[in-house]
Amino acid sequence: MAEITPFTYRPGDSILHLLDTRLKFFIISLVNISMLPAGFISTGFYFFMLLFFFKKTGLRFFSMLSNMKFFLILLVFVFLARAFTITGDTVFSSFGVTVSNQGLAEGGMVAFKFFLIMLTGIIFSATTKPSSVKTAVQWFLKPVPFVPEKRVAVMISLALCFMPVILRQAKEVSDAQKARCAHLQKNPIRKTIGIVLPLLKKTFLSADNLILAMESRCYSDDRTDPEFNPSGKERGFFFGSIAVSICLILF
Amino acid sequence: MTSSTELKMTVYSSLFVALIAIGAFISIPIGPVPIVLQNMFVLLASIILGPLWGLASVAVYLVIGLAGLPVFAGGTSGIGKLFGPTGGYLLGYLPCVFITASISKGLGKKMSSDIIAMLIGSLIVYAAGVPWLKVVTSMTFQKALAVGMVPFLIGDALKILAAAFIAKTLRPVVKL
Repeated sequence: MAEITPFTYRPGDSILHLLDTRLKFFIISLVNISMLPAGFISTGFYFFMLLFFFKKTGLRFFSMLSNMKFFLILLVFVFLARAFTITGDTVFSSFGVTVSNQGLAEGGMVAFKFFLIMLTGIIFSATTKPSSVKTAVQWFLKPVPFVPEKRVAVMISLALCFMPVILRQAKEVSDAQKARCAHLQKNPIRKTIGIVLPLLKKTFLSADNLILAMESRCYSDDRTDPEFNPSGKERGFFFGSIAVSICLILF
Repeated sequence: MTSSTELKMTVYSSLFVALIAIGAFISIPIGPVPIVLQNMFVLLASIILGPLWGLASVAVYLVIGLAGLPVFAGGTSGIGKLFGPTGGYLLGYLPCVFITASISKGLGKKMSSDIIAMLIGSLIVYAAGVPWLKVVTSMTFQKALAVGMVPFLIGDALKILAAAFIAKTLRPVVKL
């Protein structure tokens, strides 16, 4: 669980690694909005484009999928929920449940779009350093009144550092509980507490150590603003993303 | 608030941002469908951190999800998610965390008051999520309730009871 997660940054020197993070934010937002009205042809085209970027960035598509099994199961639920609730030409009906052609088509389309959004997010986090995410968020929030952009940026940076630590600790707690036959526990509340309480105690201990380290280094929000290092390919990606998003909306 | 307390709250809030984000990954197998811990961490953030820092945690969680990191349920992300069927639940977390924390604080941070606060908080999430689901998917209200609320009520009740116990045990450890 902790080895590969969708939040893990993988170092590399592909074009996506070098692209300005602010532009990546813009592209992701644009594509996600354009995905809403997208049809079968354009989503298929976008899927193959994502496969190309998976290859370019050195990510292994199928090993990533096997690590995302739980999310794929959720997509199956999304598909089934749509297939069972949308009415139309009946494909089969039994035990009071009716599945229609339209339900199957729409369920498949929605699940596929969610899958594409998930893949886009994975490519983004695999190719973007947590420090760059922090820097870009700080840049975007600067003009927003009443929002302490430096504090928010620090919180994002800390949260991104905590995520793999918590996942590793969750696995350790889960293994320790299994070794003590806790998985045979029938009471759901005790089962939940048995995992969550030790996990929270461990993570708060890590947080306390971090607070001590930050205090001992006289940490404050008043730090030098970070710099951006654009790769020079931003213009091409900017116009390319607009073209892709027009295709998604039209086809 | 001293700078030391402020730093502590910043780190703890960031910890809850991370917990809420990966809550979708930590599943506990209970019966045929495992329960995920995301909304439990939202409720815990509210009763442990209080109204303002709890609200900050959820707001930052939404910001990183909107920014593109795959932290929303199902590994999804992006601004498009807010316009989708589950956008109302995500936005509902904001009033939920503020009101839950305020009620818990107002009633004296006891286990019983935490349970009442979290029940109300969960209802706020559904009050925002179900009508949104109805509008986006053009379902009838009954169908939206049947799909977007009823199947989760038992799991929510279990999570609230577990969260109340966890908060009681955790407060002396966290020392806020």
